[in-house]
Amino acid sequence: MRNSFRLIVTGCLAATLTAHVRAEETVLPPASERFQGADIEETPDFQRHLVPLLGKLGCNGRACHGSFQGRGDLRLSLFGYDFEMDHAGLIDRVDTDDPASSYALHKPTLLEPHEGGRRMEIGGWEYNLFLNWIKGGARPVAADAPQLVDLEVSPAELRFSNADEEQQLRAIAVWSDGTREDVTCLSRYQTNDETICGIDQQGRVTSGEAGDTHVVVFYDNAVVPIPVMRPVSDQTGDRYPQVAAPTRVDELVTEKLAKLGIVPSESCTDAEFLRRVSLDIAGTLPSEAEVRQFLADESPDKRSRKIDELLETPAYAAWWTTKLCDWTGNSDQQLNNVSPDRNRPARDWYEWILTRVADNTAYDDLVEGIVVATSREDGEDYRAYSERMSALYHAGSETRFADLDGLTYYWARRNFRQPEDRAIGFAYTFMGTRIQCAQCHKHPFDVWTQNDFQEFQRFFTQINYARNGSDRQEYRAMIEELGLQGERGGQLRRKLQQALNDGQVVPFPELVVRRPGANNRRRRNRQADNPQPQTARLLGSAEINLTEIGDPRTALMDWLRNDEKQLFARAFVNRVWANYFGRGIVEPTDDLSKANPPSNGPLFDYLAAGFVENDYDMKWLHREICNSATYQRSWRPNETNAGDERNFSRAVPRRLPAEAAYDALVMATASDDRAETFLTDLNGRALAIPGVPRRNRRNDGPDYALTIFGRSLRENNCDCERSSEASLLQTVFLRNDEATLEMIDRPDGWVNQVTRQVFGSDSQPQQRRDGNNARQQQRRLERLQTNLKRAQDQGNENRVRQVRRQIRAIRQQMEQSELVEVEQEFEGQTIDDATLAQLVESAYLKTVNRKPNDHEQQVSAAFVKDADNPIEGLRGLVWTLINTKEFIVNH
Amino acid sequence: MALHMTCDGLRRRDFLRVGALGASGLTLGSYLRAAESGTLDRQAPATSAIFINLQGGPTHMDTFDLKPEASDEYRGEFNPIQTKVAGIEISEHLPRLASVMDKFVILRGVSHTLAAHQLGSEYINTGNRPLPSLEFPGYGAVVTRELGGPDGLPPFVSIPNSAQRAGYLGVKYAPLHTNATPQPGRPFTVRGISLQNGLTVEDVEKRQNLLDELDTAFAGFEKNSQLLDGLDRFSQQAYSMITSPQARAAFDVGREDPAFAEKYGETPFGQSCLLATRLVESGVRFVTVSSGGWDTHRDNWTRLKDNLLPPFDQGLSALLTGLEEKGLLESTTVFVTGEFGRTPKINQERVGRDHYPRAMFMLMAGGGVAGGRVLGASNENGTEPLDVAYSPDDVAASFFHTLGIDHTKEYHTTTGRPVMIVRDGQVIEELVS
Repeated sequence: MRNSFRLIVTGCLAATLTAHVRAEETVLPPASERFQGADIEETPDFQRHLVPLLGKLGCNGRACHGSFQGRGDLRLSLFGYDFEMDHAGLIDRVDTDDPASSYALHKPTLLEPHEGGRRMEIGGWEYNLFLNWIKGGARPVAADAPQLVDLEVSPAELRFSNADEEQQLRAIAVWSDGTREDVTCLSRYQTNDETICGIDQQGRVTSGEAGDTHVVVFYDNAVVPIPVMRPVSDQTGDRYPQVAAPTRVDELVTEKLAKLGIVPSESCTDAEFLRRVSLDIAGTLPSEAEVRQFLADESPDKRSRKIDELLETPAYAAWWTTKLCDWTGNSDQQLNNVSPDRNRPARDWYEWILTRVADNTAYDDLVEGIVVATSREDGEDYRAYSERMSALYHAGSETRFADLDGLTYYWARRNFRQPEDRAIGFAYTFMGTRIQCAQCHKHPFDVWTQNDFQEFQRFFTQINYARNGSDRQEYRAMIEELGLQGERGGQLRRKLQQALNDGQVVPFPELVVRRPGANNRRRRNRQADNPQPQTARLLGSAEINLTEIGDPRTALMDWLRNDEKQLFARAFVNRVWANYFGRGIVEPTDDLSKANPPSNGPLFDYLAAGFVENDYDMKWLHREICNSATYQRSWRPNETNAGDERNFSRAVPRRLPAEAAYDALVMATASDDRAETFLTDLNGRALAIPGVPRRNRRNDGPDYALTIFGRSLRENNCDCERSSEASLLQTVFLRNDEATLEMIDRPDGWVNQVTRQVFGSDSQPQQRRDGNNARQQQRRLERLQTNLKRAQDQGNENRVRQVRRQIRAIRQQMEQSELVEVEQEFEGQTIDDATLAQLVESAYLKTVNRKPNDHEQQVSAAFVKDADNPIEGLRGLVWTLINTKEFIVNH
Repeated sequence: MALHMTCDGLRRRDFLRVGALGASGLTLGSYLRAAESGTLDRQAPATSAIFINLQGGPTHMDTFDLKPEASDEYRGEFNPIQTKVAGIEISEHLPRLASVMDKFVILRGVSHTLAAHQLGSEYINTGNRPLPSLEFPGYGAVVTRELGGPDGLPPFVSIPNSAQRAGYLGVKYAPLHTNATPQPGRPFTVRGISLQNGLTVEDVEKRQNLLDELDTAFAGFEKNSQLLDGLDRFSQQAYSMITSPQARAAFDVGREDPAFAEKYGETPFGQSCLLATRLVESGVRFVTVSSGGWDTHRDNWTRLKDNLLPPFDQGLSALLTGLEEKGLLESTTVFVTGEFGRTPKINQERVGRDHYPRAMFMLMAGGGVAGGRVLGASNENGTEPLDVAYSPDDVAASFFHTLGIDHTKEYHTTTGRPVMIVRDGQVIEELVS
């Protein structure tokens, strides 16, 4: 008692001193020195010393006492910071009258058997610290205990020049009472890339391979990343070559590269640029004509003009809408029964965003429409609202859902109903931040505690997506008017949909913001049991009195816009950057945590600030990135940058995203006319598929391909739900799937177009089956498939079933009928060399979007000539080209 | 390069490293050992599995859990028959299965609470009660991740498709859907495997030669990129899958000895079972067979005895004897289940039974599971489990156990949350011992 008092006095004294002289002697030496040896009088502090020590020794890890079930009846809070619980757990195991015989000391020293093994030596400083805490009365954290204000880590940056060099970190905790203590021995450490450097639990950093990463220091709730760097070449400083940096982005990227001795790659070719930028901005390959035109264009600003041109296309809007649908979670699976017209929500959601992206609505305004979305207009009653919504869904309506101010469906999702799910989903979508860890325990990689999470979650408790509206009486009246009283569940839903389709007014679900203290008897009763929270706290920021604002989400929106950490702008900037480089400035892209710092902080700061200054203009950001020399670099590495994937010194080859890959296949095999329309006509494009289909419908049509190519599932609040990995099934699909082979052979495909042009007839051999013309059956099948698509789009399930039956029937007919091959018409025919050379060039321009070199031209022409007939040869060539790595990779 | 931080403070690479070097760290070591306690028990008898999904929810009351003594409200019109194993009775419309009762186990009174098709189906295809916020991987995804796959064949095949998806394990563990069932006497085309559109092996070889010659844009840099390297590897595998006789033979049920094939029956279900046998024989790790129509709200008994039970009886009994004849039953676990049972109380109006998850049946065979037994029981009217209730999670845990996979092993979801393979189950000792 006396000792601890003295400590506090010393602490206060130290604080006064620091104000005058910030001298080294005011820093308390490390506990490992102070508690070394016998007869120590100091009483350590529970929060400052004991809990960090337990963390350091691994006691509160997940496999040990940090497990939610505890171990050996003792449960500690995972990674600490629940001081009450930790104290309550320990206090039963200490003996303040005879401290040395405390059970809590016997276990980790193996005087008692301990499943976790020996954690400390009797007489060691760790033991002495624990012992003295007990001797001092085993005190908990005082209510008015000082808070940690800062953790000063030195050096602030580590540079190595060789492998196996060592440097020591030092961590000093600064508390709100002015105390400064060396906590190097009580901090935890991690390296973010152990190939670059290792770090031991004493804070000693050892260099490894050349490159850069961070080590991270953890103490109390502080998380401090320290950059570590070892140049990859001797071309640093004065020896760094002159590298052109035409834009601010280039300057910032090059500054970092110069420190690392990494020389960036050369500029990519025009053909590479065109393919890359078309895929990245608009998810679309350039057409043959476009490539020819671009290559022939000799004006110096053609790349910049191409960027502007692409940003104006419908395909740009569709691709970025698809990405925004990923981040906001647009999925049929999660939107079950949230609208009387069950087929509309995902499409409405998609179109709502599409309209805004096409108009280049400011990103913050777009998001505001989601964050503060409401159903009713000012002063509107429930019936009027339902009438307005019903009219929207009636045939011939001139207003669309996309014309409404708010995207209410964001709040209607099945996985977004509970306040905690909303807190997690909201932070993921708009802040690129993973706070889910803090739901159950102190966040291991960020500052967030469970308390922060709970206080944040309260913003979401008042929001309700009421499926039957919030006016019970009016709802019942409307149901009765429709004659549907007594109907329930799925039956009721079907009949409501029918009534809506028939042009009647049906009651609509609505998003309701409950007001704390609303004049409602039922609510008041409930409040008595379970009082509605009156305040909520923005993450790491101000407390908001919920009774003073009508809709708590407005406070969230203001905070997104104004918070100094700019997580809102940063999350978007980082995701956009990742679209163009295959990885974010922060990677993973949705983990903007303290322990996961950006690979280039100044670059990140510049883009985030610029995005805000330019009023969240999305096209500004796209231009800023695409016009940089950094974006336009070749994928070909040089000696210094072959290993670089995080500093943007070259383009990194990446697999086409699922939707772009599927569309690229369709486009590369399409006739010239069809291919020309891909940037402008979204009809039939995978980019225009609104939501992820329900789980049991993911094997039909393009959905099979999109699934195996890893489109986002949009369920788990993770950017990693979109996969860019390669897999065997993807390759099998490209090599030999009937869908791919049929694309090459389809009537409006390029091979057929060429056949008509060169031979004046269709490419498909005429087959007769049992006297029936197989082509007729084939055409009928195609018609039915179109009908099926239409019926699916309209959500007409009866029609879908009916068409499916017809398709089965015709398939059976086709299988069962005898095949009678008609004489091959192309046998022995040839194409003259000049035409063939043209065709080979076209095939290259359509698939890999460049002209073939002489060798490729020769080999390809020879292949076509050697084939049984020229058409078969062309088919083989197209097949081959779409199976090159160059095709499926964006480079 | 990317390090995935996990919620519990470990990064994925730490796991890998410990796995490779053996845990030697002071504090981290035991931590990791405990966290990674899911180790493979290679003593396990089974190395492959066939999962048969009876979609729609087959009635327990009229198949494997008859209640001849119950009142007419419950009983149903079928009578029980003796099986090869004294004391075990099953439906009179399953005579062939009755004659091979010694080869499989009936689990009765398996119980859960999800009476909707999709939820129930997700539950029994993953062993985890579905969550809106997380898609669990199907059995096949977990098994192929744990045990790997053969060269030149897809490791996980679904006939014709399956509710088992890769879930949070990621696209590379997704199944190959055949999208069709084989028909007797006709060539069977499998998505991606069979040659179509008139292509011959020779054509494919020619194209592959051209591809080898033209696919050189990244020549010399493949080792520089995981992606390019991976694409090359998959290219080789896909090529051998398409052209090697082994892969095509695996799918070509027409090559089976007619005397052997005949036992399976000419029905889609029988032919699917025949294909499953061939695939397992060829080295495919995991096969699912899905067979629909079991949602008998209406005309339950007519549909069962005329349409559903005869092909099922013939196909499944042939599968069990077929696997045994080929010496594969011991190394192949066969798991048969629907998403739920059906209401014991008859829906008189529609002469059917409705959804009922509280007392369903499941079957298990092979993989070291001793047959000829009934485990668990439902009460007198088949409405509740008697005494102990097995959950789908328990059966899942046991199923994994037969394959040497510890169901308590933890994966990390895409967001880094630790999740056990089966979150809530316990191995049913009497089933697997």
